[in-house]
Amino acid sequence: MKPLKLLGLFIIPMGLIIAAVPQNKTNPYKLTAEEVLNEANTRNQFVTADVVADMIIKKDPTLRLIDVRSQEEFEKFSLPGAINIPSASLLSEEYADILNQDVKMNVLYSNGTLAANEAWMITRQLGYTNNYVLEGGLNYWFDAILNPQKPASTNPDEEFAKYDFRKSAGQALGGGGLTVQAASDQAGTSAKPVVKAAAKKKKAAGGC
Amino acid sequence: MGPLAPNELISENTNFLFAFLIGIAFGFVLESSGFSSSRKLAGIFYGYDAVVLKVFFTGAITCMLGLLFMSLFGWIDLDLVYVNPTYLTSAIVGGVVMGAGFIMGGFCPGTSFCGAAIGKIDGMVFVAGLFLGIYGFAFTYGWWEKLYMANYLGEPKISASLGLSDGLFGLILILAALAMFWVAEWAEKKFPREAY
Repeated sequence: MKPLKLLGLFIIPMGLIIAAVPQNKTNPYKLTAEEVLNEANTRNQFVTADVVADMIIKKDPTLRLIDVRSQEEFEKFSLPGAINIPSASLLSEEYADILNQDVKMNVLYSNGTLAANEAWMITRQLGYTNNYVLEGGLNYWFDAILNPQKPASTNPDEEFAKYDFRKSAGQALGGGGLTVQAASDQAGTSAKPVVKAAAKKKKAAGGC
Repeated sequence: MGPLAPNELISENTNFLFAFLIGIAFGFVLESSGFSSSRKLAGIFYGYDAVVLKVFFTGAITCMLGLLFMSLFGWIDLDLVYVNPTYLTSAIVGGVVMGAGFIMGGFCPGTSFCGAAIGKIDGMVFVAGLFLGIYGFAFTYGWWEKLYMANYLGEPKISASLGLSDGLFGLILILAALAMFWVAEWAEKKFPREAY
């Protein structure tokens, strides 16, 4: 048989098979279970609420907040400038570029620490770096930043410094004794804390 | 799970060793296809010998099918395979320059080393011209830099820009290649050349 016909006879069926079969889109895990366990135990993926509040106020461009809760919860309240990647669709194609990159610092947060940490573990196993978890989640955020407790007079100075920072951060980010409901009023606004702080200060001054 | 080097399954030195062995195999295939004869190589432009088209396209199709099937079996992660970045202007200008050189000289860079290796003078002259061109480009890089870096398109895949899946585009390419081989064989009969 002519070489060309022989080649065609062999290669065309291979081509038909490869055209008919759907593409293999699974993401292989790049880290072994042991490696992920080690990383989880060193707890280096956590960032404290103070650090994130500082970055938001200073408008640090490397920060990217990612809300891993469902869309309804995200729309009720979210941190300023946060985007929503629900845990259920964490592995979909559209978010791969956001989670797998080395330019921005992705801070995942949820109501507590659990959901965000799970999301971190999964993305870490795929080999993605630059993903972190907000320690304490939104619950701690409200307690510490938005409604900071004045330390007792016997506490060391640094506690007072922390309290002062948190109070001003909280006012800049829309806190100062407000509840979740009021804070959600500004969830839909753009990242302009200066304007909001001026407006909120009037209310806070009145309340306190 | 491939590819081997990005996933650090082999060391850098093993990577170089594989490259060396593949280079030897490449040279062997070129020489055994008769590519050290410049008349055979230039034949594709005049119609009397289409061996260049057949060998390289068969190689490309085999590689493509191999990668697609390995991706299907989960043996390789195609996202990690290196794809040359596309600079459109450079690609077109470079293609014109390379094509003109090929017709005039009768060799392309790889085959010129094959010819030089078996002692062909025109192969050695071609290699000398190659180095002249490389050094000339390097020393006058300032004149070419803008042209060289123009029109950066990232690393697009034809299948992605046409909206087809990789496998379907593979099938189309196979059919196109077989059609081209058939036309080439017709051209070989139409423009025969006695001795070359």
